[in-house]
Amino acid sequence: MEAIKYYVKGAFQGVKETSEALEQQEELIADLTAKVADLVAQGRSEDEALGMAIASLGDLAGLVSEFEPAEDPHAPIPSASVYGTRLDLHVIAVSAGVGAAVMIGSTALGAFTGLVHRGAGFSLLAVLGVAMWWLRGAYLRYQESPSAIEVRELVYTARFRRALAVWAGASVGVSLFNIASGTDFWCWPIWVAGGTWALTVKIEERFAQRAEFLAPDPEGSEAV
Amino acid sequence: MSETPISSDLIRGHIDTILLGLLSTQDRYGYDICKQVTLLSDEEYELKGPTLYSAARRLEGQGFVRSYWGEGPQGARRKYYAITPEGSKAYQRNLEDWKRARKLIDRLVSGETEKE
Repeated sequence: MEAIKYYVKGAFQGVKETSEALEQQEELIADLTAKVADLVAQGRSEDEALGMAIASLGDLAGLVSEFEPAEDPHAPIPSASVYGTRLDLHVIAVSAGVGAAVMIGSTALGAFTGLVHRGAGFSLLAVLGVAMWWLRGAYLRYQESPSAIEVRELVYTARFRRALAVWAGASVGVSLFNIASGTDFWCWPIWVAGGTWALTVKIEERFAQRAEFLAPDPEGSEAV
Repeated sequence: MSETPISSDLIRGHIDTILLGLLSTQDRYGYDICKQVTLLSDEEYELKGPTLYSAARRLEGQGFVRSYWGEGPQGARRKYYAITPEGSKAYQRNLEDWKRARKLIDRLVSGETEKE
């Protein structure tokens, strides 16, 4: 009966659609349907039987509360007012530093063990050059407006996953290019640069709520 | 003067045992369990669906009951509950506890004074 389905689905509105919750709804619908059929067999009209069956069920709130609530699509996105250029400079400085250290360390290790390949110097210079260029850009932006305030969304999980996916995809791409071209130095700059990009997300997540980067709300209201 | 209905609070603490008792004879689905409770209590007590489902989920979590989907009339699915061996043991334990408690409470509420 459609009315029973509507009633049960309505009662479970706001509950996450897990298999457990859907199973509970199906059970409720089946039992209510059986009760209505029973009452109709006893001579009640269908409408009367439906009303009686629903009334006898009582309050479903307690049962519904046992299930995980659905994520609220209208929930406010957590955000904070930050000194944007200052935050970015620090995030990029740490990330570029880590990327450069990995590159220098692996090149030194390669030289030390004699496993260094032709083109390693090129890879090292490329990564260091990009790191310097990246850092310089962040520094210039900071110099231009050191107290620039912006509201930044503190949502990092999706960004980090996306960065990891791009990193993995690019790494596979350059590895295939290495194999195809018989070289081995193309992969390093991409691996390190891609990994460093993903790292910036994690570093920003750590830094964004530190007191030195938090700014008063530009509109005078509290950030969420 | 008609009798007042039995307080649900008196029964609520024994829902698990009632459920295990009903399942100890045969597998049953939710509405069937509620109907049996109404019949056995001569309509003095009505087991509400939400109370039943909560208890069944709890007993299933404890391993005393298992559930499965069976076929009802006109091909509709129904969720049946069956007692497990652990559930049977728990039922026997609860039954013994209840019998002892009933004797004790009977004595306590009888109004008899302490025997010298």
